[in-house]
Amino acid sequence: MIAVFSSAGVAEMPEFGFMQQIDKMSDSSLAPFSDVSREILSRLSSQLVGRRETPQFAALGYWLRPASITRLKTSFAARVPANQFPVARGMAFHLPPSNVDTIFVYSWALSLLAGNANIVRLPSRRSPQVEWLIRTLLEVLEAVGDAHRHLFCAYDVGTGLNREISLRADLRMIWGGDAKVNDVSSDRVRPDGLSIGFPDRKSLSTIDGDAYFRLDASARDALAERLFNDIFWFDQMACGSPRVIVWVGDSVRCEDLSRDLYQRLTRVTSRKSYSVDAGVALAKFGYLNDMLASGTGRAAYRLGNELSVLQLDPGAVKPPDKIMGGGVINHVVFPHIEDVVSAVDHATQTITHFGFDIESLKRLVEKLAFKGGFRVVPVGQALNFDTTWDGIPLLDYMTRRLVLIT
Amino acid sequence: MSNAFAACFDHLLAMTPYGVAQSEKESILLEGLNDLTSHHRAACPKYARILGGLWPGADLSTEIAGIPYLPVSIFKSQSLSSVPESDVRMTLTSSGTTGQQVSRIPVDAETSLRQQRALANSLGHILGPKRLPMLVIDSSAVFRDPKLMSARGAGVLGIMRYGREHAFALGPDFKPDIAAVRHFLAQHDGHPFFMFGFTFMVWLEFYERFKGEGLDLSNGILIHSGGWKKMIDRAVTPADFRSAFHRDFRLDRIVNFYGMVEQIGTIFLEGPDGLLYPPNFADVVIRDPSTWRACEVGQTGIVQVLSLLPSSYPGHSLLTEDLGRIEAIDAGLDGWMGKGIRVLGRVPKSELRGCSDVIGAQAA
Repeated sequence: MIAVFSSAGVAEMPEFGFMQQIDKMSDSSLAPFSDVSREILSRLSSQLVGRRETPQFAALGYWLRPASITRLKTSFAARVPANQFPVARGMAFHLPPSNVDTIFVYSWALSLLAGNANIVRLPSRRSPQVEWLIRTLLEVLEAVGDAHRHLFCAYDVGTGLNREISLRADLRMIWGGDAKVNDVSSDRVRPDGLSIGFPDRKSLSTIDGDAYFRLDASARDALAERLFNDIFWFDQMACGSPRVIVWVGDSVRCEDLSRDLYQRLTRVTSRKSYSVDAGVALAKFGYLNDMLASGTGRAAYRLGNELSVLQLDPGAVKPPDKIMGGGVINHVVFPHIEDVVSAVDHATQTITHFGFDIESLKRLVEKLAFKGGFRVVPVGQALNFDTTWDGIPLLDYMTRRLVLIT
Repeated sequence: MSNAFAACFDHLLAMTPYGVAQSEKESILLEGLNDLTSHHRAACPKYARILGGLWPGADLSTEIAGIPYLPVSIFKSQSLSSVPESDVRMTLTSSGTTGQQVSRIPVDAETSLRQQRALANSLGHILGPKRLPMLVIDSSAVFRDPKLMSARGAGVLGIMRYGREHAFALGPDFKPDIAAVRHFLAQHDGHPFFMFGFTFMVWLEFYERFKGEGLDLSNGILIHSGGWKKMIDRAVTPADFRSAFHRDFRLDRIVNFYGMVEQIGTIFLEGPDGLLYPPNFADVVIRDPSTWRACEVGQTGIVQVLSLLPSSYPGHSLLTEDLGRIEAIDAGLDGWMGKGIRVLGRVPKSELRGCSDVIGAQAA
């Protein structure tokens, strides 16, 4: 059986009826940036912006607000030549990741703006907050009268439904890492369909030691707060969560400065009551021991249970492949910003930066071209969703172009 | 190699088993444990890197709680050895389910000998000086490959040394063998004997299978180990366990112990008060899971075990993944001294999930 969501709750549906409903959804495309889709996102936005207790929902609401959508529309239109007309692809199939609990909305919302009909396979484990988000979203869809073009559902992976739905999909978005992308990709989409996979990614941060040195106490605290958001939302397990912090400058001085920043960071964790349970604390301790034994790290220290720092051997960097979240900073100091690329490989997604001038950042970006990395953004914006994701301009891929020559 | 830790071990082993007051024991243990830390630092480069990186200045601790400790999980991700490979007599592995990483513990002749002496001392305290006929509540198939020994196999084999005329309650196919049990009991009718098995096996494959068979085990002593996790799943308490064996088999002498493959030979025996006591050459510290400082009596935390046995691998001070609590120090009931603890199960495993889905998690 398939669980199908509506504002009233979850209903079980047999496969036959489910597939019929999907078939009815084909040929129900709208024009890109239609009034209906903008109305839906505007209403959803106003439900979310005030949600201070779930800051990731508030951020989503902010991203969906009408002014932001208008800006999206303008930049999208600017990319389209005068003799081309963007139209929806048709039926989009979204497979969001099992944790990062707002990705499914970003993926769906962009596809809605593109004009597509949407099927979203929700993860089987959903927090009460996510349940609330789904319900709110469906209430809006029903109120605006567009619910028939969207199916939010959940089913087991062994059911063969991924295959059946993929066969009908004009567009498929697979979020969730290498294994999942490979697994789902073995099911074909329509011959003229497009499948986009988002594989395993990792991220880092880089800080200019001199610039940090010049900050006064309150500016340092403000930076720590932005770093907190980057690291600790999603328990440091999102693709964009920095795992490595590269300090640029004199090594002795940067050790002192980094300790100052990490101390401030622990004050933010305690103020925000971020805590890890004993199991995570043990896993982090295990990670530090493991990395020291293997020689990847040369020293480590714990700043309480919430934050551990592993000082990487600058000679041996290549940062660890092993993923450990929940508050572990893999720390290293390099003399020049160009050296940051030695911590980058093809799986690197986001590089957040603090304290560098534009020229330095441009030098970094030039070096990155041959190594990896998709976004270089200020500290505090690591998790911001961007319509260009992993280097792919999503709206452009979610639509197709009709060319008119007169 | 220095011999201070070996001398401390000999000294403690010569004293009344499980009968040394905590302060007296600590002063001897501390010297031996510090010596082992130096020994492993010199002999195991990976251990030296961990100490250098995470424990600056911890060369000589002035208290047991200050001895550096490794997470028990390190033996799964790293191979840690303090002896040349040619000296390794056997590599013990923890029993894990398929696909899980297992601990690998290299044991040389010297460590092995100390483990045997330690075990003989602990078991002698329960069983007396003479070897007794032994009913193994397991199958002989469990220790087939001696080169790569599972924790269960090593545990059974290690304890079999202290019995004679062994019989197995499970056949080579791991099916309960009532004929073998009856034969064993008939052979030793009216004489003392002992039984050993892992707690959940004893319950599932012995008690549950044979409870209606009218067996008389009143001359027996049952030693069991392996934790209560699977028993809790079945809602069987230690008291239920005892009363069931009393009711259906007239068996009253039951002794539990706590131990792990990473410190094999070191067994925390159940005293008359139901608490688990480390042997003289070992100790326990409970650590607060948020500050990692040593807990007071009565406070629950993570169990750290310390022992003078491991010299072939740096396992003399290990932070386990078990929760426990010190209930009493030097309680003195029937002469049992030192720290009496209760082990309260595993620290719940936490899953941090990110953008990257585990395939298994998709289906869950």
